[in-house]
Formats: sequence, structure tokens, C-alpha cells
Amino acid sequence: MAETRTTAEIVAQCQALFDDLEFTHSRRWKEAAPGRKVVGYLPVYVPAEIIHAAGMLPLGILGGGENLEVIHGDAYYQSYICRIPRSTLELGITGKFDFVDGFLFPSICDVIRNLSGIWKLLFPKVYVRYFDVPQEFTDDVGGVYYEKELQELREGLAHLGGRPITDEALRTSIALFNENRKLVREVYDLRARTPWLTPTSEVYLVMRAGMVVPVEEHSALLREYLAAVQAEPRPMRDNCRVILNGVFCEQPPLNLVKAIEMSGCYVVDDDFMLVNRWLLDDVPTSGDPIQALARAFLHRSAETAAKYQPDLAKKGQYLLDAVRDRAAEGVIFAAPSFCDPALLERPMLESRLEKVDVPHIGFKYAENSGQMQPVREQAGTFADSIKLWSSP
Amino acid sequence: MVVTAGIDVGTGCVKAVLFGSEGGKTTWMGRHLERIRQRDPYQLAEEAFEAVLAQAGLPRKEVAYVATTGDGESLTFATGHFYSMTTHARGGIYLDPTTRVVCDIGALHGRAIRTDERGKVLTYRMTSQCASGSGQFLENIARYLGISQDEIGAISQQGKTPEKVSSICAVLAETDVINMVSRNISAANILRGIHLSMAGRVASLIKGVGGVEGTALMTGGLALDAGFVAALADSMAEVKSALVVKSHPDAIFAGAIGAALWGAFRHEKLRARGLGGAAGRAA
Repeated sequence: MAETRTTAEIVAQCQALFDDLEFTHSRRWKEAAPGRKVVGYLPVYVPAEIIHAAGMLPLGILGGGENLEVIHGDAYYQSYICRIPRSTLELGITGKFDFVDGFLFPSICDVIRNLSGIWKLLFPKVYVRYFDVPQEFTDDVGGVYYEKELQELREGLAHLGGRPITDEALRTSIALFNENRKLVREVYDLRARTPWLTPTSEVYLVMRAGMVVPVEEHSALLREYLAAVQAEPRPMRDNCRVILNGVFCEQPPLNLVKAIEMSGCYVVDDDFMLVNRWLLDDVPTSGDPIQALARAFLHRSAETAAKYQPDLAKKGQYLLDAVRDRAAEGVIFAAPSFCDPALLERPMLESRLEKVDVPHIGFKYAENSGQMQPVREQAGTFADSIKLWSSP
Repeated sequence: MVVTAGIDVGTGCVKAVLFGSEGGKTTWMGRHLERIRQRDPYQLAEEAFEAVLAQAGLPRKEVAYVATTGDGESLTFATGHFYSMTTHARGGIYLDPTTRVVCDIGALHGRAIRTDERGKVLTYRMTSQCASGSGQFLENIARYLGISQDEIGAISQQGKTPEKVSSICAVLAETDVINMVSRNISAANILRGIHLSMAGRVASLIKGVGGVEGTALMTGGLALDAGFVAALADSMAEVKSALVVKSHPDAIFAGAIGAALWGAFRHEKLRARGLGGAAGRAA
């Protein structure tokens, strides 16, 4: 019987994966069998099922984090651009991705789109694809387009891997990712119910591990974490319940998450790394798998700043729903500096919250922000104002 | 009676208090102050909590809410944490109900906090990161001059021709002081000059939170420095402020007092929502 690990041991493993900018775990996976390939992807969503069905490892690339010094990357972007493309370039130029065979750049914003062009120029021997997703959500228009986009991706990866990607392989991968998404939802639901058992600084690391390990391994890790945290009592604090919004692309430093929690907030929902929470429920494992993935994207995917909402009346409704469903008492908007999607979305979301008297604060960060005192100050006073002055 | 504890983990000292609340009346049941002196502040906080419990003759389980403030967020036995501005404002109102501005000058920073009569923070101004407006800087200078902390206030008030120091940078200010010593400037005039320089900064902070009447109550470690309180009163008179600068013998406990009282308030609020005891008692 396998030895049961404690929460601390599981989180320590995830922390080590998080800190490792050499991506050792992913490299070892590739080296474990001849012919294996790794395909990296940037935020905010790609159908990792197709990469998996090609027999490849999907590798989530979320920038260089707080400990990477950016030297080369700054040469490619002007100063008023966020940090994630610079640190990603830094990792690429310094050879940290020398084991990665392909890169997908989703259509999150112009900066990431342009990064796909820079990547093609810098790394001409690597498979690079700008992965464009529809902003029109009917089956006949956006659906037709997106199915073709998925099909092109399927063919591109099949060419890279030297073998076709069968429907059966796709269905198997969809089932594995369904299982993973179900476990991710379980962790998020558990955190919303008992946030003192599952600090977000831990949940974040556990989710982040899923960016660099195979999905099967990550699902096992999630099961292990769920069992461990529920077996270890932790004291409940009198904290207020908040939702963290705007953190879906460039990631905040872990200390920022810790600062928010230490200031008296339980984060009961967030939009970190939406790739594992983008599709809201199971993708059908019968029928045409490409069509199933396309329909899931069109009709059952998360609403965020990265997705167009044609109906203004529904703009921000997802956040109001989350506030209600998670019993949140406030919203903390944290967005990377110069993040167009998050910062342009924020005023619209704020106005929706104000109409229903949900308190909120906002600040900006970069992945290497070091000074947490202002965050502690804002989050601390925000938590106090909710705890002391909210009604009743 | 609802018993609550407040624990303020500061940069220089750990303060703990115990309060009982019943029918709108509060009773101060215990207090303990410990200088950190390079020891583990969390261990000291636990000992301080035990000390106030011993004073009141109560076991831990009788405490309905243990509230931390300052750097005490990670104390494992706490029920909740309040930010230091929130607690100093409430503590200031407890110590002097006429308080409308609290000046919390601690070891590493200074703040002017404008409050209403309930202790609700309305606005605030804070010193920047430089330490030249802080108690730690003053302690360092006193040590260089061979003066104990307890003597600073009395000696400063003897200074008749104070020498101003840089109010911007602690490093430059220390250089200023070295120059003064080499020019045979008396310790009294040096300390008075530092007090006036720091008071000028604090007066600017107070001015920044709005022109109100009432009491500007000093809290934090420097509230006990009579020389600084006198210098601040002079600086406030210079800027023609209607606020009356005061200190209080228990001013150093203001943060811990505010934490304990907000803890009682919060406990009542949770109880009204049917969540009494939901956020655990002291373990």
C-alpha cells in the first residue's frame, strides 16, 4: 500500500515544481521514452486534450515568476507592456525551453499574439501556432470556425508527432481531462466550503503543478491533496470571504496571495490559470470529439475578460453569480500592470458590483512585485471594513 | 460577560490585554508588555497572552475572541486579525473619547489616522519607507549618545537651542548627528532637534488627514516620549491646528486595546448572525 503523504509534503512537492525554472519534471517525462514530445502553451486556454491525444505532454507556461531576472526579454518589448512576454522570452532565449517541441499562443491579447510572431522568428525550427478562438458563439458561425481551428491544430500536432491523432485517442484524453476538471472543481468547492482547510497559497501550488506534470499524475495529486487536507484539522479564523479576479494570465507572486490571506481574507474563488477551469463541465466522450470540444467551448466555458460577451446586460453576471454561490463578502481585483483584458474589464465589473452593494478594492501587480506592504494595507483594511462595518 | 484578548505584535514590543464586555460596559482585566530584544515575537505573544490570563485568573477557553494586530497575523491561536490602523483608532477612542486623530508612531513608521467617534477609520497618512521619522531611528541616536531610552524625553526638553537634522533620510540624519557631536552640540539640543524634525513630519501627516477639532492622541512607542509629545505640540501650534496633542499613560497598549474591543464587537456580530463560536475560540 502506498504511503500516505501529509498536506505539507504534497505542497512541498508542488512548491518544488513551481520553483523549478528548468522544468526538470517535464524534461524527465520526455526523456523517459524515445520519441516523446512536449508542447508548451500560454494562458489562458488551449484544448490540452488534443496535445495529450497526440501522445505529447502539454506544458503550461506562465512566465518566469518573481525570481527570474529579465535581461534579454526587455529588448523585445516596450516598457508599457506586461512582464509575462518578457520573462517567457527570457526563458526561451536562455535555453530553458530547449526540450519543448511546440508552442501554442492563444488569443488572449495582442501582446501574446505578437509573441507568437517573435517566437517564430527566434525559434524557426520549433512548431509555433497562434491558436485563435472564436468570439462569436453560435454553432453555425463561431462553431464552424472553431472546429476548423481545432482540426488544423490536430493536423499540426499529428505532423509534429509523426502519427495521426485518432478519434479514439481524443475521446480517451477528453475523459482524462474531464476527470481532472472534476477534481479541480472538487478542490475549489471544498475551499469555498472550508477555506481554513485549504489556503489559496496551497491550492494555487497544487493547481500550478498541473501545468508541468501529465494530467494522470495531476489527477492523482489532486485526489491525494483532497484526502490529506480533509484528514488534517486546521483552526478556522474569523476572516472575510473574498473573490480574487483578474489573475488569469500573468501570475501574481505567491507572496501576494499569502499577503492577502494573512491580511484576514479567505479567497473563496479566483480566476487563476483558467485552462483547468475553462470548460465548466464534462465534455462528451461519445460522437465527434472535435465537435464536442468546440461545443463545450462555445456553450459551457467560463466567462472572463478573455471572452467577448455580446449581451451587455449579462456583462459581469458570472462574477455576481460567483459572489452569490461562494457566499463571498467582497471582491479583490488584482491585475497585472498593463493587462488590457483585465484592466479594461474591471470598470464594467465594478459597476455591476456597486449596483448590488458588493464591496471591492483593486490594485495592480507584476509577476516580480516584491513590496507587499501596500497589498497588506489594502487587503487588511478591506477585510476590517467588511468584518466591522458591513451590515448587519 | 464576554472576555476578549488583544495581542499587538509590534516591531519593538509585544503587548497583550484582556477585556470583559457586558451590557455595553467594558472592563480592562489584564495587560502585559514585553520588549522583543531579538527574541521570537510569537513565543513572547503566547507568553503575554498567558500572563494576562493569569492576571484575570481565567483559562484560555473562557476567551471568546483572541484578536491580533500589528505583525501578529500568523499567531496560530488567534480567532481573527485586525489591521493596526483599525485597532489604533479604536484604542485611541477608548483611551480618550475626544480623540479624532490618532498618531501612531512606532519603531519603524508613523501614521496619522483620522477617526470618527466610533473608532471607524476615515482616512490616514503614513510616513514613507525611510526610518528617520521612526522610534527606531531615535533609539539608535540615543544609543550613540550614550543615553538610555527612558532619559530621552527629559533630556530633550532641556534643549534650548536645538539643531535641526535631515527629516528625509535616516542615513543623512545620522551623519548630521555625528557632525553635531564633533561640534560639541549638547545631547539635549541634538535630541530636541531630532524631536522637532520628527514632529514636523508627523504634523504634516496630521494636516494631511484633514483639519478637524478634538484630540490628536499619540499612540505607539513614542507616545511615552515626553520630549516628542512636547515637540509635536509645538509643531501643531506652529501650523495653527485646532487639534490638541495629548498622550496617555496606557497609549502603548492602544493597538492591543483596539484589537480586544473590536474582537468583542465582532464576536457579538457573529453571534447575532447565529455564527457565535464559528470562528474558533482560543485553542
